[in-house]
Amino acid sequence: MNTDAHERARKLIALAGPETLSAADRPSDQRSSNAWLAAHLETCASCRAFAENAAQTIHGLRAIPIAAERSLVSTTQIRVRRRALELRRNRERLRLVSVSCTAVTLCALLSTVVLWRGFEWLGERAQLASSVWQVGFLVFCVMPALVAAILLLAKDRHLADHTGSYRG
Amino acid sequence: MNATAFYFESSMAQESTEIARGLRRRDADLLDRLIEQYQHRLLRYLVYLTGRRELAEDLFQETWIRVLERGHQFNDKYAFSTWLFSVAHNLAIDHLRRKQPASLDGLLNDNDEDAPFDVPATGRASAFDLTVQREQSEHIAAGMQHLPAEYREALVLRFQEGMSLEEIASVARVPLGTVKSRIYRGLSALEPWLKGAQL
Repeated sequence: MNTDAHERARKLIALAGPETLSAADRPSDQRSSNAWLAAHLETCASCRAFAENAAQTIHGLRAIPIAAERSLVSTTQIRVRRRALELRRNRERLRLVSVSCTAVTLCALLSTVVLWRGFEWLGERAQLASSVWQVGFLVFCVMPALVAAILLLAKDRHLADHTGSYRG
Repeated sequence: MNATAFYFESSMAQESTEIARGLRRRDADLLDRLIEQYQHRLLRYLVYLTGRRELAEDLFQETWIRVLERGHQFNDKYAFSTWLFSVAHNLAIDHLRRKQPASLDGLLNDNDEDAPFDVPATGRASAFDLTVQREQSEHIAAGMQHLPAEYREALVLRFQEGMSLEEIASVARVPLGTVKSRIYRGLSALEPWLKGAQL
């Protein structure tokens, strides 16, 4: 008997595992492997010993009692509930931000159209060239952002000066 | 037999679908139930995988937080336990990578005095067989500590969780052949420990 046969037998033993299929449900190659293994075990004492040891090892493995303590389970449940609440709040916040963004975008679109029409009407009434009231419209739209930027810059400069005077 | 198997499979599939639906909703009650249901199995897996009880308990909690956060990724075509163990596996790997960039081998702790697989005394047992069995388990537990983490993982998933080879491959994210070789080598490596128990 060559070493390949022993190796094959031991691998079959190790991989036999916990499947509970009946012999009839097993694939034919598996059935033939099992028949081969049974025949091999009848003649090979060392592989038989390996099979017995493997069975005992598996039995021993299953007998090692490792259990979770009650405190671990309850701490985990509390942490999971807290995190679930946190995630729900985040989701609600995100939903609120999305709704606000959508509303702002819609308002901006509508007001742009209305303003455009308003400037056009004013331009016609004042008999201005279209380029003039269009520039006026542009300035009107950009003005709030421009004013805010200037104010912020001024505030930054003021703060920088103020800190500088303390340092000095 | 076939009707029983069909009934069993369809009820498993239904359970998986319900779990998937609950996880998508982030249902805290469902998670409470799952934590109760899988507490011992998950902790046992993590203890074997990491070899350290304290670390296993930390990872146990992190695993359930991850399950809550990524519950929508669970595919109800598979068993929940397989997905749960793969989440725990990934967390253990992440933890190890943060500590040191290595494989699961880094979880092998030969010099660790803290024995994670301590076999507690069984309260009512008095028969000779139980004593022998306890001694055998102690020796195997000691042997497990000296095995590489990959082998420990394969052995616990196969013989304690009763997973199929394919399921183990999916949890450990390795080819089927690697799983087979880990189980074979793991069992072979434990043999001397069992013999030690018989001496």
